[in-house]
Amino acid sequence: MVFSSTLFLFRFLPIFLILYFVAPGRMKNFILFFGSLVFYAWGEPIYVCLMIFSTISDYLHGLAINASRSTIVRRILLISSIIINLGMLGFFKYADFLVGTVNSVFGLNIPLLNLPLPIGISFYTFQTMSYTIDVYRGEAKVQKNLLDFAVFVTLFPQLIAGPIVKYVDVQNDLRKRKPDILKISYGCKRFIIGLAKKVLLANNLGLIWNEISAGDFGELNIVAAWIGIIAFAFQIYFDFSGYSDMAIGLGACLGFTFPENFNYPYISVTITEFWRRWHMTLSSWFREYVYIPLGGNRKGLPRQLLNILIVWALTGIWHGAGWNFLFWGLWFAFWLMMEKLGMKKIFDALPGFVGRIYTLLVVLISWVFFSVEQVDRIVNYLKAMFGLQGAGVYTRETLFMSMENGILFVIAIVACTPLVKNICKKMSESQKGFGIACYRILEKLLPAILLIASIAYIVDATYNPFLYFRF
Amino acid sequence: MVLQDERKNAWKTVLFFCVIMLTICVADLIQEDIFFSESENRILAEKPEFSVETLLSGEFMEKYELYLNDQFVSRNNWITLKTEIDRLLQKKEINGVYLADDGYLIEQHLDSDFTQETINKKLELLSKLVQQYPQTQVMLAPTADNILTDKLPFQAPYFDQRQFLEQVKMTVGEERVIDLFPTLSAHAQEKIYYKTDHHWTSRGAYYAYLEWASKNEFVPAEYSLDTMQAVTNDFTGTLQSKINLPVKGEEIHIFPETLENPVKLKYDLMIETESFYEEKYLTGKNKYGYFLDDNHGLIEITTGSKVKKQLFVIKDSYANTMIPLLAPHYEKIYVLDLRYFNGRLFPFMESLDEYGNMDVLLLYNFVHFIDDFRYF
Repeated sequence: MVFSSTLFLFRFLPIFLILYFVAPGRMKNFILFFGSLVFYAWGEPIYVCLMIFSTISDYLHGLAINASRSTIVRRILLISSIIINLGMLGFFKYADFLVGTVNSVFGLNIPLLNLPLPIGISFYTFQTMSYTIDVYRGEAKVQKNLLDFAVFVTLFPQLIAGPIVKYVDVQNDLRKRKPDILKISYGCKRFIIGLAKKVLLANNLGLIWNEISAGDFGELNIVAAWIGIIAFAFQIYFDFSGYSDMAIGLGACLGFTFPENFNYPYISVTITEFWRRWHMTLSSWFREYVYIPLGGNRKGLPRQLLNILIVWALTGIWHGAGWNFLFWGLWFAFWLMMEKLGMKKIFDALPGFVGRIYTLLVVLISWVFFSVEQVDRIVNYLKAMFGLQGAGVYTRETLFMSMENGILFVIAIVACTPLVKNICKKMSESQKGFGIACYRILEKLLPAILLIASIAYIVDATYNPFLYFRF
Repeated sequence: MVLQDERKNAWKTVLFFCVIMLTICVADLIQEDIFFSESENRILAEKPEFSVETLLSGEFMEKYELYLNDQFVSRNNWITLKTEIDRLLQKKEINGVYLADDGYLIEQHLDSDFTQETINKKLELLSKLVQQYPQTQVMLAPTADNILTDKLPFQAPYFDQRQFLEQVKMTVGEERVIDLFPTLSAHAQEKIYYKTDHHWTSRGAYYAYLEWASKNEFVPAEYSLDTMQAVTNDFTGTLQSKINLPVKGEEIHIFPETLENPVKLKYDLMIETESFYEEKYLTGKNKYGYFLDDNHGLIEITTGSKVKKQLFVIKDSYANTMIPLLAPHYEKIYVLDLRYFNGRLFPFMESLDEYGNMDVLLLYNFVHFIDDFRYF
């Protein structure tokens, strides 16, 4: 089930919320669990069993680790949990990639499995692993109530596309949360903003990228190539951050405080900063459970660089089972290493716009690897961007497309910066009665307008894919 | 105190959004299912049957979502709202239709719509036809984007049909081609195309007729533009359907002279009628179907004309407006729409040629020609 659909907005959500808020205290978690199962099973009637299996497996692992006193047994149980989770993930997500690679390297013809990817598997396996690892480390309290643990795993707001919630982030909320009107009000507004980002911005920018990326890159002119990848950069940001907004907003309504996932990444001055603003829960997970256990930066510079390389290779292929995704991760590893070796200090010292241009260039090029997938087409696209395809600077069609989407691009640029958020903040903190009154009208009116507009686009569209569904 | 005040405000906010959502939700639940959508011209999805198989395969969920979307309350209004927002964002092209000046909707055709391969194939087929029937004349009608070019949005791209016409002239010889660009361009300020439909008007077809008569050195029959009769004034055509915005209806005209002489038409060897025009379409949405009963594979027209000649027209829907004007020049006119014909073309044409001197006219608009022209 997708948030940006009439099914979710006008059937699932009203029914679920009414049942949830009417239910007495302890029943709420049951409603939540059951609702989450319906939410997931609606899109994955068979694979829902996989998620249930993963839940029970790590619930038992958690109990067992907690019950055992022997270091060896605890370690074995931890490794068992990790192997099961990564095994599931590896099998469903990477099996065909491996088979395909083996086939082309050794000239074999092993048949592919062609298994559809269970939605959300990259998210919930990482989330349950955070539980067993943290129970092992003593950082998380073991969850003896299966229902409460199941709520953590299946929680529908962040199940499909994050943020990646570590168990410790919500362990208190699982049992101790109470409905709070301030949180609900905030949650509603946050959800609507996320919906608007996805439906009004991401989807429409995606149409531009679709049109430009459909053709033969041998005939792609310079302006079109740049507009295309910029459109994609906007699309993936608004899509993903919009989804995170909706998840955080829904979570807030239910009484959960989820971690933030995006913090205006495109204003970053360095790549290091970029990855502290983009998909923050993923980099946090990798830092917590891979980078730091590998030694982080505490074993000398060469080891640190190696650690960065490993973490970013993994980050790359987490995003997809393909060489282009690995390369995408390694591309960032390269720039991060360069920055660690001194480049960061340079950009931090120069005026901000220099670093921003550098960062945006690196990121835009990275999106070519991410979105185009086949090597020869990637090369052609990059050539087109730098005028090496001989297709000219622009065409009439490109010019028309730019003008058609001019206002959309301006809105997108503004929405990438914290400008609107800062204005809202200033207004809400206004001391004058008039300022407060103004703010209170706008905080209801503007989301309402966005909501109505979003519904109009949802009803109008057949085009409504969510890019991160391959996870 | 401040917190109390904030909590009160939070309640108001939440209730406000809830009212909006619940109103829509309840309205949607109450509304009865609609069977057919006039604007989308299709049957809307109905409630799917539930079964364990369809549940496990996910089919039930897919169908249910389709059903919800198709039957969503006030669906057309939401779609119109979306289009209005697009216009607010200064979009000049919606769903393949340009929002041009003077209230014109003009269909978009791009270079990328046509591959050189397809174009070459069509030219080859055309060449074969001309070899078999050297008397063939080719009349390709430009679409509005090529004639009303100055009304198009700034820098709006369009497929250059003049250039394609040159290729056609090279393929079949200039003497066989009736070039409509000069005359239509000359009359571009007149209403020669509909504002809400992709067809040309009866006026546009009239100028094409004059050009045809001139090329063949016929004396054109007496049709007067001044006495044209409006058969309706709220025609909203295909382009209005595509963009889902309410627009002012327009007039469809005919030349009353075409009603004067007795004429017999036989559609697809079965249905017989005595008029070029079918009144029943004027009460529905597809008013253009008024001309020659919309779409038929084969029409056999027995005009009242004494001229012992026959005409064989291979055509698309553009021709429907022009064919009534040709009646005085031929005793019989055969009209073939290749989309509905699967036989062998040349033997079929042979079989109809009673006097051995049949004229052949290919009458398409450029886009339909490249898309639809094919035969065996």
